[in-house]
Amino acid sequence: MNLQKIVVIGAGTMGSGIAQWFTQQSCSVELVDNSGEQLKKALASIHSSWEKLFEKKKITQEELSKMKGLLSVKMLDQVARDADLVIEAIIENLEIKKSLFTNLDQFFNPKTIISSNTSSFPITLMSEAVSDERKKRFVGLHFFNPATIMKLVEVIKAEQTDAGLCKDLYNWFESKEKKPALSKDSPGFIVNRVARNFYGEPLRIAGTDDEKKMKEIDSILREVGGFKMGPFELMDLIGIDINYSVTCSVWDAYNQEPRFAPHALQKQMVDEKRFGRKSKRGFYTYD
Amino acid sequence: MTNVEFDNILINFGFGSKDEKKHVLIQNTDKHVFMDLSCYDPSEFYAEFPNLKGSFAALFCDSEKKIEVHMKEKNEAFISKIKELGFKPFEISILSCGFIFPRTIVQIINEAHFALEENVASKKDIDRAMKFGVNYPKGPFEWSEGREKFVLTLLNELFEKTLNKRYLPSKLLIS
Repeated sequence: MNLQKIVVIGAGTMGSGIAQWFTQQSCSVELVDNSGEQLKKALASIHSSWEKLFEKKKITQEELSKMKGLLSVKMLDQVARDADLVIEAIIENLEIKKSLFTNLDQFFNPKTIISSNTSSFPITLMSEAVSDERKKRFVGLHFFNPATIMKLVEVIKAEQTDAGLCKDLYNWFESKEKKPALSKDSPGFIVNRVARNFYGEPLRIAGTDDEKKMKEIDSILREVGGFKMGPFELMDLIGIDINYSVTCSVWDAYNQEPRFAPHALQKQMVDEKRFGRKSKRGFYTYD
Repeated sequence: MTNVEFDNILINFGFGSKDEKKHVLIQNTDKHVFMDLSCYDPSEFYAEFPNLKGSFAALFCDSEKKIEVHMKEKNEAFISKIKELGFKPFEISILSCGFIFPRTIVQIINEAHFALEENVASKKDIDRAMKFGVNYPKGPFEWSEGREKFVLTLLNELFEKTLNKRYLPSKLLIS
């Protein structure tokens, strides 16, 4: 597999990070968004990140110029139709995504691989929006934020995705020093499923809204467990509302299986608008 | 199980059955006992055995030998001894079945086994995903390797204590 021409759709945090990473692998990348303002902002941010790398002597002037030349920002109708890979990283809305995929299917060359960076929706369900032929080349590619730093890419095989294509993508990412993991198209894929109890169990150990207990749990999971952050400080950073929403979504997807059940405290915090760092109040208080 | 005795103190290491643990306490009523209760609820033992003065959890202890320690009564001699034995104790005040780290990690391990049971991904890819997607220090299968029996014991204990089905184990842990 040789991925040279990449189109990333959606110039938000994830889309920009993915576009930056592919460009750093010497791919020619077209970053697409329906907002010109967003594209301008994303390009400036990526350029600024590369310039910092240059100032720190992590890349040469030649590499800086080459990367700038490889990345362009465009509207969808301006991109090359012969892209090797398209990655969708737009808003998590199933109807909007499906409508986009129908357009992408018609727009791109039959050989183009179309993928989604979704963390919420089944890949098989989204693939309903494309032709039977394209379904074989429709796959989930779930990157983690920040995409330029986090090494994992979950390669998700939908029901009709060609197994060989998934293996080729796996090998390609591995050759670029990512750490791919092949996952079945099941709710939460691997990480968002297995990680749920890193939050759910400490919530049950604490039981109530008791900052002293939460500090102790965070400290033990950092110091003894070796985690970079404790669950409560991490939920405050992610956003308690976002974490709660992912928990509910996985719980519903597994028919309210008790292992994934949200804790009453999560709902209470959301109801009280204690979202974490962004609202200056979560499990902890921030000045 | 291994016992270390000095002065009037007995430190009991290892992950024996609940009956075996209780037997050690019954046999040593004249001593101040500190016991590894990684797989059990220390409150239950404290209520039954006044000679149990503290408990600790070394189930997932690696080469760094960091352990959670709960003391009913402060005991410097125990802390000194445990440090002398190479452990790094971290004192806790929360009393919870399975302590903090083992209880959290067995649930992550259980979910990883459910995912494997459902063919979501291979062991290698599940470990890799958790290490490189969310920076876990180890993958769930790396943590559980050789400890499956004790993971199951703690899950069963949590289920017995709470009757919450969230603690029911994956078939792969039972077999």
